[in-house]
Amino acid sequence: MAEVHVIGQIMGATGFSESSLFCKWGVHTGAAWKLLSGIREGQTQVDTPQVGDMAYWSHPIDLHFATKGLQGWPRLHLQVWSQDSFGRCQLAGYGFCHVPSSPGTHQLACHTWRPLGSWREQLARAFVGGGPQLLHGDTIYSGADRYRLHTAAGGTVHLEIGLLLRHFDRYGVEC
Amino acid sequence: MAAAGPSVFLLMVNGQVESAQFPEFDNLYCKYCFVYGQDWAPTAGLEEGISQITSKSRDACQALVWNFPIDITFKSTNPFGWPQIVLSVYGPDVFGNDVVRGYGAVHVPFSPGRHKRTIPMFVPESTSKLQKFTSWFMGRRPEYTDPKVVAQGEGREARPT
Repeated sequence: MAEVHVIGQIMGATGFSESSLFCKWGVHTGAAWKLLSGIREGQTQVDTPQVGDMAYWSHPIDLHFATKGLQGWPRLHLQVWSQDSFGRCQLAGYGFCHVPSSPGTHQLACHTWRPLGSWREQLARAFVGGGPQLLHGDTIYSGADRYRLHTAAGGTVHLEIGLLLRHFDRYGVEC
Repeated sequence: MAAAGPSVFLLMVNGQVESAQFPEFDNLYCKYCFVYGQDWAPTAGLEEGISQITSKSRDACQALVWNFPIDITFKSTNPFGWPQIVLSVYGPDVFGNDVVRGYGAVHVPFSPGRHKRTIPMFVPESTSKLQKFTSWFMGRRPEYTDPKVVAQGEGREARPT
C-alpha cells in the first residue's frame, strides 16, 4: 500500500469582515484510503487579532494515510465561524482545497464563500445575526448540488501543508 | 530489495531563534521546547532552552534580537508525529510581574536545507471582563500550565486567544 503523510498547519484567516474567528476543519477521502494515524477533523481555537487583521490559529495537522488507489485524493474542507461577545456563533464562510500531490511544503490559500438567503434573511443577518447554513456538509467539497445555491464571497484561509509520499513508485506512480 | 521491518532515520536540526517583533512589549525572553510523536526520540542536543532577556533596538524596525541557538538531533521510524518547536515569550508588565506575551508553534521543516520561519504568537484570552481586569491588576494573566498544548490539535476549541 502506498502511504501519504500530510503534515502542516492551518495558519489563519484574512479578509473576513468579522473578527474573533474559529475554523472547523476535516479531511475527506475516497473509499480506497485508510487513515492510519492522526485526527481526521477538528476545530481551532477562537482568535481575536490584536495586531493587523489576520486571525492566527497555527492549528497543527498530522495525518498518515495508506491507499490502494489515486481516486478520492484527500480534500481538506473548512468552515469558518465567528463568535461574538455573547458567545453566539455565526457562519463566516465554507471552503475546501485538495491536499497537494507533489512532495514538499506548500502554501495554500483557500477562498471561502457563504450562502446568501433571500433579502429578508440578509437583512436579518446584518442586524440580528444568524443566516443560512448548509444542511449537508458534503456540499462544501462536492460539486453535485451547487447549482441550487446563491453565495457571496468570504475571506481566505491560509494553510501551510507539507507532503511526504512513500511507495508510490511500486505502483507506477511517479512523484 | 527493500529491507523488511521499520528503518530508522535521523533528523538533525540546527538553527537559532533569531528575533521577534512585538510592537507593544519590551524586555522579553523566550523559551523553546520540542513536541513530537511516540515514534520519535531525541538522540543529541538540548530539548528545551531559555534565552536571555532582550530590549528593543532603537531604530525603526524595533526588533527584539535573541540569536538563541537551537541544536538537536532526533531519530525515528515514522514521519507521523514530526517534531514541532513550541516557543513561549515572557516579559514584565506594568507592575514588574513576569507574564506570558505569546505562544506559538511550527513544524520543523521537512526538506534539507536552509529555512526561515516566522511564527505568529498568541495569548490565551480571559473569558470574562472581570477576570480580564483582575488578571491585569494582580499580574496573573491566563497562561497554559504546559506550553506543549499549543502544538496539539485536540481541545483547542475550548481555549480562545
